[in-house]
Amino acid sequence: MSWVLGLSGLYHDSAAVLLHDGRVVAAASEERFSRVKHDAGLPVQATRWCLAHAGITMADVTHVTWYEKPLRKFERMLVSQVANFPRSASAFRRGTFNWLTEKLWVKAAIVKELGVAPARVLFSDHHQSHAASAFYASPYAEAAVLTVDGVGEWATTSLYRGGPGGLELLGEVLFPDSIGLVYSAFTAYLGFQVNDGEYKVMGMAAYGEPRFVDEVRKVLRPREDGAFDVDLSYVSYHWSADQSYTRRLEELLGPARFPGSGFDPTTAEGKRYADIAASVQRVTEDALVAIANVLHARTGLDTLCLAGGVALNSVANRALLTRGPFARLFVQPAAGDAGGAMGAALWTWHEVMGNPRTLDTPVLPGPGLGQAWDDATIGALLTDLRVKHEVLAPDTVAVRAAADIVEGRVLGWVQGRFEWGPRALGHRSILADPRRADMKDRINARIKYRELFRPFAPSVCAGAEGRYFDVPPGGEQLAEWMLLVAPVTTDDFPATTHADGTARLHVVHAAANPLYHALLTEVGRLTGHPVVLNTSFNLKGEPIVSSPVQALATFFRSGLDVLYLGAHRVEQTGSYDG
Amino acid sequence: MTISAANLPIWLASWLVWKIVPGRAAAKMAEFSHTEAGSGLDMLAAVEETTRPELRARYFRHALDELRHARLFRERAQAWSGARGRTQAVLEDSGFIASHGIRTTESLFRQLGEREFLAFVWVHEKRGAEQFDIYASLLGHDAATAAMFAEIAKDERFHIAYSRAELDRLAKAGDEAGVRGAVFKVRARRAWQLWVRLSLDFGNFMAGIWLTILYVVLLGPFSVVARAERPVGGVVPPAPRPAPADRAREMI
Repeated sequence: MSWVLGLSGLYHDSAAVLLHDGRVVAAASEERFSRVKHDAGLPVQATRWCLAHAGITMADVTHVTWYEKPLRKFERMLVSQVANFPRSASAFRRGTFNWLTEKLWVKAAIVKELGVAPARVLFSDHHQSHAASAFYASPYAEAAVLTVDGVGEWATTSLYRGGPGGLELLGEVLFPDSIGLVYSAFTAYLGFQVNDGEYKVMGMAAYGEPRFVDEVRKVLRPREDGAFDVDLSYVSYHWSADQSYTRRLEELLGPARFPGSGFDPTTAEGKRYADIAASVQRVTEDALVAIANVLHARTGLDTLCLAGGVALNSVANRALLTRGPFARLFVQPAAGDAGGAMGAALWTWHEVMGNPRTLDTPVLPGPGLGQAWDDATIGALLTDLRVKHEVLAPDTVAVRAAADIVEGRVLGWVQGRFEWGPRALGHRSILADPRRADMKDRINARIKYRELFRPFAPSVCAGAEGRYFDVPPGGEQLAEWMLLVAPVTTDDFPATTHADGTARLHVVHAAANPLYHALLTEVGRLTGHPVVLNTSFNLKGEPIVSSPVQALATFFRSGLDVLYLGAHRVEQTGSYDG
Repeated sequence: MTISAANLPIWLASWLVWKIVPGRAAAKMAEFSHTEAGSGLDMLAAVEETTRPELRARYFRHALDELRHARLFRERAQAWSGARGRTQAVLEDSGFIASHGIRTTESLFRQLGEREFLAFVWVHEKRGAEQFDIYASLLGHDAATAAMFAEIAKDERFHIAYSRAELDRLAKAGDEAGVRGAVFKVRARRAWQLWVRLSLDFGNFMAGIWLTILYVVLLGPFSVVARAERPVGGVVPPAPRPAPADRAREMI
């Protein structure tokens, strides 16, 4: 019996993951507890919950592993800022202050805040953690492993071979050449928040044509050896803490989009932004495919495990599958920095402690790895808050919810443990009928209060996806965790089909989520299509809800019609008058 | 709104904010939005942690009020900011909440306990209501903003009333000294936190000066060497590394 805890944080997306004998038993991002989106603190509350869930104390934990090497990261920051003297003065002042007062003392903070014995605190490398999260969580004995993100210590892209002997680092691309940071620079240029709005760029790209590919390739330049260079005159992430692109990028592409301004792809200006987004997306895909070719040539393997923030780009994942050399692609649900916590723990279990892999039981039992609340607790809460509600027999929840959806209601759906990763996979979701053309605008404008161009995903019963979507071979696992975009082959779902005729697909297996599968099956019985619109249960700018209290607070501030909290059904109208 | 000696400083400060400094009013609205959202989170945590059903319901209503206020302030800030980039960027970046009571590892309720939490609510809501009265009087010419402040003021009166009533109930139940002590502690902590904030601001300012000197005098000369050391591009082979068990304890 051995417990290992992995931690990430102090940059963005802090998280804690607890392993028991090499299997994940609890995993949660700090934001689900603190309600600070992309919480950058130490994952104290997530850690406490993981231990409580397992019924253990910190004394039972063999090792606590931080997901990166803080001193090497500090070195990179110093070298980079000194090299960019004197324009890096402001970033140096702020960054150094931050490092000297907080980040350099991460070990002391872990010891103090979490009550860990200093000798039990270990440190992985940033990309090693990403690689371990992808390979050791996968069901494959051997695989090529690619990690691509903004930057870790020095590496921005790393190539590994994973096998019985563990992870072997084959090569890496170093800062400041970074696919992730260039994508983020364009995210800022397009008026979105870095480290949050990247998926909005992906959504915006569907409205455009990649007519600025040549210009974007001046920024992210492909190399003959399959790697890439960044022309640093267009970006400033290596010397500025305030701005990630330079005036030269605006000279190249025109004025940047003003943050928070509207986006209308039918106007010339809106079309230009959409075209730039499409071009950035295309160049990113090309760079990924090129580096995947390098990795394939060096490993000769057919399976690719992918991690790092760029692995959450579901459009690029499709490009990797359809244009790349690998037959199969594996990405775990929290592929970004939160997943580094899982990788740090898995690396410790296998490579530091020397435990061999056993592939008979999955390392990840499913995407629902967070906290759950039982019906008795939910019932008491609703009574205390004087919220009128209906208690359903457990076997009627799916039937009743399906009827609500088919009748045009929009549901809040809170069932079981909350998800691991940034996607709502039927545990903390907003659900609706994807056949209704007005549903997309209705949910964006009146329920989630977010940009109208943002798409929604369809959830579909496993086995039925081929009727509606063109899922490329080797992408089955990605579709289970909503990490793959697929062309839609029907006109039946206007609310979940994006402007370019694709959808970010979520395939639901009965074994992974029986209640949600039953709901989809019932919708299929009523409509002939076992498909629902599924989007995360949150409002714009907020983390996905976790607890029933958060769900109720979000529900009563939204335009949702009905809330399913376990076996409890709450209607928006007339259920609560304060 | 009567100007008294007690509220003169805040009145003057508000007058400067709302009337004199261009663009400051929109930024101030954005800050209020953050603060109200943070208060909403504190109240939601209290809903989860209190054991008293009647207070649970009050805290929940209070939380919804605060979160609604956050939205109202955000909308006013957006309406006022127009093309002023800074405030828009702040709003866009802010997401839900940036600070206020959530960077601590314990919720405010758990830190304070029920009695002191109620005292905290009462003291801070009372103070907030007084401030909003001043703002409303200074912004009376703007009908939409005046209406917003009026709506918020109504909610604040409810928050003040229920927290005071609960403190009175506790006092009548024999805990008068405890209630008085809790209110005193909240007021004292408020003053202490103001002092800490000023000290931190000063410390940050001084640290900024010293770091700038360090940067120019000590690090500047190394910039030539550092520039020459830009890593070669492309896929580079990994540097030799110790075995995992050996390097796991190293922070570098």
